[in-house]
Amino acid sequence: MSAGAPTPAHPHPDGLRTLLANLLALPRRFRGSAFRSGPLRGDRSRSSFIFGNVFLHLHAARVHRWSLRWATTWGLGIMALSAFLITLLTGVLLMFYYKPYPEVAYESIKNIHFVVPTGRLMRNIHRWAAHVMVIAVLAHMARVFFTAAYRRPREFNWLVGIGLLVTTLGLSFSGYLLPWDQLAYWAITIGANIAQSPREITDALNVTASFDPGGLQKVLLLGSDEVGEEALIRFYLFHVMLLPLILVALLAVHFWRVRKDGGLARPADADARLGPPHPATYPVFTEAPQKTYHLAAVVRGQTPAVGRGPEGTLPAMPHLLYGELALFMLTTGICLVLSVLLNAPLKELANPAVPENPAKAPWYFLGLQELVAHSAFMGGIGIPMIVLVGLGLIPYLDREEQGTGEWFGGPGGGSLVAQAAIFGLLTAVGIEAFAIHFGWLRQWWPGVPQLVITAVNPGTVLTVVYAAYSLWLVRRFNSTRAGALGLFTCFLAGFVVLTVIGTYFRGPNWEFYWSPAQWPGH
Amino acid sequence: MLLLLSSLVTLAVLGWAAFHENVLRDWREVQREYAAKLPAEGRAAFNPQLRQIVVPALKATDRCITCHLGMAPGEHAIAGHPLFAAHPPIPHDAAEMGCVICHGGQGLATDTADAHGTVPHWPAPMLPRADSQAGCGSCHTHLKVPNLATLRQGQAVLERHDCLACHAVDGRGGTIRPGGAAGLIAPDLSLVGARGYQRDWYDTHLAAHAAATAGPWSTSFRPIPTEERASLATFLDSRVGAPKLVEGKALFHSLGCRGCHKVAGVGGDDGPELTIAGQRDPGQTSFAAVPGKPTLANWFAEHFRNPSAVVGGSQMPAMGLSEDEIDALVLFTFSLRRSPFPEAYWPNDRIRSERFGEREFATDGATLYGTFCAACHGRSGEGMRYPGMMPFPAITNPDFLALASDEFLTATIARGRPGRRMPAWGASEGGLHASEIATLVSWLREWSGVQAEEDPKPPRWVRGDAAEGERLYRAACSGCHGARGEGGEGPALAVPAFLKLATDTYLTESIARGRRGTTMEGFSRPSTTRRALAPDEVFSLVAYIRTWEGTR
Amino acid sequence: MSTAHPPISPRSRLEPEPVARRDFLGLAALWSAAAALGFAALGALRLPKAAVLPSPSKKFRVQLPESLAPGEAFVPPGRSVALFRDGEGIFAVSTVCTHLGCIVKPTPEGFDCPCHGSRFSADGAVMRGPAPAALPWVAVTPVSAGVVIVDEAATVPPGTKVQA
Repeated sequence: MSAGAPTPAHPHPDGLRTLLANLLALPRRFRGSAFRSGPLRGDRSRSSFIFGNVFLHLHAARVHRWSLRWATTWGLGIMALSAFLITLLTGVLLMFYYKPYPEVAYESIKNIHFVVPTGRLMRNIHRWAAHVMVIAVLAHMARVFFTAAYRRPREFNWLVGIGLLVTTLGLSFSGYLLPWDQLAYWAITIGANIAQSPREITDALNVTASFDPGGLQKVLLLGSDEVGEEALIRFYLFHVMLLPLILVALLAVHFWRVRKDGGLARPADADARLGPPHPATYPVFTEAPQKTYHLAAVVRGQTPAVGRGPEGTLPAMPHLLYGELALFMLTTGICLVLSVLLNAPLKELANPAVPENPAKAPWYFLGLQELVAHSAFMGGIGIPMIVLVGLGLIPYLDREEQGTGEWFGGPGGGSLVAQAAIFGLLTAVGIEAFAIHFGWLRQWWPGVPQLVITAVNPGTVLTVVYAAYSLWLVRRFNSTRAGALGLFTCFLAGFVVLTVIGTYFRGPNWEFYWSPAQWPGH
Repeated sequence: MLLLLSSLVTLAVLGWAAFHENVLRDWREVQREYAAKLPAEGRAAFNPQLRQIVVPALKATDRCITCHLGMAPGEHAIAGHPLFAAHPPIPHDAAEMGCVICHGGQGLATDTADAHGTVPHWPAPMLPRADSQAGCGSCHTHLKVPNLATLRQGQAVLERHDCLACHAVDGRGGTIRPGGAAGLIAPDLSLVGARGYQRDWYDTHLAAHAAATAGPWSTSFRPIPTEERASLATFLDSRVGAPKLVEGKALFHSLGCRGCHKVAGVGGDDGPELTIAGQRDPGQTSFAAVPGKPTLANWFAEHFRNPSAVVGGSQMPAMGLSEDEIDALVLFTFSLRRSPFPEAYWPNDRIRSERFGEREFATDGATLYGTFCAACHGRSGEGMRYPGMMPFPAITNPDFLALASDEFLTATIARGRPGRRMPAWGASEGGLHASEIATLVSWLREWSGVQAEEDPKPPRWVRGDAAEGERLYRAACSGCHGARGEGGEGPALAVPAFLKLATDTYLTESIARGRRGTTMEGFSRPSTTRRALAPDEVFSLVAYIRTWEGTR
Repeated sequence: MSTAHPPISPRSRLEPEPVARRDFLGLAALWSAAAALGFAALGALRLPKAAVLPSPSKKFRVQLPESLAPGEAFVPPGRSVALFRDGEGIFAVSTVCTHLGCIVKPTPEGFDCPCHGSRFSADGAVMRGPAPAALPWVAVTPVSAGVVIVDEAATVPPGTKVQA
């Protein structure tokens, strides 16, 4: 806007007068220097509004109509990001008062709850936004999977996404210890011992003395052999520094790749399906012959926008940005309503002498805890690793094209997913019911070696059954995508079943109860 | 549209949250009510805000005064109001130590239920108001508290000699001024146990009495006999500003609770240690068998009424206590607590107790018996029978006391009786000093009026036929004492410690005379089912019993 | 979402639209979002100002040494108050410099501040240096012989002395 600044009609020698004029022009010039684009009139200014702003220029200036449909994404990625931003803001605020030292930490949370202005609300929002974030991230992953949006050229972004999922869970888990209450102490004690669980294998092989990755993991995590002040300062470091940095870095890559990989995945015939374009979508190139391809057109490599042109697109401002803002406000609203209705839990001060019974991890880990009840290594490390590796392999094994960008796209489609979901639910419920009712190997043969239990337990059996089912699907539909759909759906169903059992049907000593009202004591 | 709706909802919820925090919080409502009760100029000066007492050394951050404004430094107390009144006069200032250290509860909290600690996940609820004197136990360990009878006796002496005419004690008495309407005020005696008093008071009183011709010195004071002055001294030493707590502790020292329970390392091992029993976490407590509200006070009370119903598998017998006794014991149980604050802040009595080994119980024989022995041997030495347990012997049994020498009694108390419930009370086991055991033995003699019979014979003088003794034992004794003397209905005999202590006279006379009041008959007299044993046969029995000495 | 936008006349889409005609709902939505975020920001800004300060209770009990001579200062360990006893009674003067909060040192003549050279007389009045006000006197309440409760938070007019 510097060109728009008024110049004196005739240069006057009086410097003071110039100074006065400059002073008077100060507000206007400041506005001009701060905001690069003027009022939003026309597509050019709208585009420059996007790419002239450091925060917004991750967006493409124009977005395809398919991407703007609610049904394409349900806004889950933006919700996850919004929840992250909310936790970030509230988290920074909580850091004003939080003191990472045992007992003092607990007191500082009590202070935040009872006397810090807006502290109770901020802590509640932080807690519930973290839950919303986990849900949104999981749902976002499911959306990407079910719309087959991980396919070429987006394989790598799928991997980045898995990294984001793990980081999100890590953030939640590391935040769990900070209040230093009974819940925190015992959840982290269990978590740290899961990290130590490779000893199940090394002990059985009798090599723990020389090769002990489990012990190393635990000591790295806790800085000690039990949960204490060292562990608290480490978890604080992870929670407020290391993991957020990793998350932000991965987010940057994730968003950048979304653009560079050609925006959101859409079917090849998306334009035809959407019908005639909205009057606002002009054929850009015919009307603006002076526009030239820039450097991207001549360098080698994939720049998917080249050659396809922006037909069928709408300006990101306002169409996309309004939607994003709406989703942000929706997420904020959800977190706020939850926060006003429910206080974030805070139990007694951590007491290493009195274990919580039952000691339950955050809900999204209760599925794992259900598996851990049989084998710490398999439930806590083995099966999660198998699942993560399996997820990472999906885009490299499924090289098909059919159904990209469509819900449940691929052979079999929705009915296959429904069948797989039912199969997954029934199998998981069946195996759990069997194990709860009849017990498992050790109840039958008390002398059974640990290695056998590590290898054969409800979790591994479930994994094998799911894998076999998915291989059968691959053969039946003659399609990797069908197998992937089946496997993913089964694991999702299994996750839901185990989480629900772990959350609602497990009581003291991890016994099965139909409802908490039947718990003994209290 | 979504943007509009979600924004408006967010705005509305934010507005509600702000309204709630700034208007509806408990303490804001309380402070509005307080301001309304203030006189006009006070209302203008009153600043609605959170208030707290912070004492880092005691880890106290107590916000109680946010609502209990009459106790807040610099605020007006509104007399008679349940919330805004000043604190009743006590020796401590809340600004020095905070509130929670005595009363319990959650000082950090600013919502009513949270602050009073009656919410889940807070292990230390407030002490009930009726039991607030139990809070003294957080820091203080009142020393040398006698048994209840001794305490009551001291109080009776105080009242009989009309000390209350001039002196106030625990809020009673002190209406007359010895020097006339404007003259001397007699000192309040409520705290003399902690603050001390002039030990020569009797002489000065006597002198003033002798000098006076009229007025209180002449009419209200009379010479007091020496033993009654001793009773008075005991009573005055127990005046520490917590009469109800001392009463409860005196009851604790009369029921023999320490016979099974240790407190601060002294006591028996049959029951759980009680040193911090008052700090029980209600969250870890089952209230299933407790009628009424699930409060600790109700739990303790019901536990005293019927221990095994409240604590599954508890061996503690129902003691048959009156409700008043239960109330006093509940208060005392609440006082069994320890605030973990630096030793530099400990009061004298706790230092004397925990660092110099001074006793919480008075060390006269009666209190020692009441503290350690009464639960099993009976409050008047008559022995006890509890359902489901072997009967406990009457310790004042004249047959026993006549035969048992002082050494026998001392050693039995110090080392216990293996094979019976009687535990060892020596310094390293039950924690009693030798001097205390000696006091107990001599008091037992005095109390029962039975001295040990002179025994000119040496400890071992019996000659008898052990084989004949074995035949007789199988016929007459094994039914109660066990085939190999291991005990049964009757006590075990094949116990080296016992056999070493018991002289031959003790054994022969016990067999010959029996023990009145127990199932042990005198075998030198015939009964309906058997003939009398001749002295030689008794000697044979003793010789047989002696064969167990050192063989097991 | 109000993606509805004004119909665009089929002229050149690179030319600015003649008038910015925005729909009412879109504007209302935008402004309500701004209001909500602004309100939330207000709440967030309130948070850092603590409602209660964790400063320890300034009230303490102290025993004066028997040998304390008139004019001699007794500073209880760890406290920033100097206690005096003379014929008229006991009184306490704060030792926190009124300039920038350093702890002044009692001298036979009064108090010296080590930080910027302020000097006070024995009754707290400023003798020289940058201190803008006299050292305040704080409240003393007698308990028993030689024992007083001092409340550093409560100031009293200079010259207030109590008999123990």
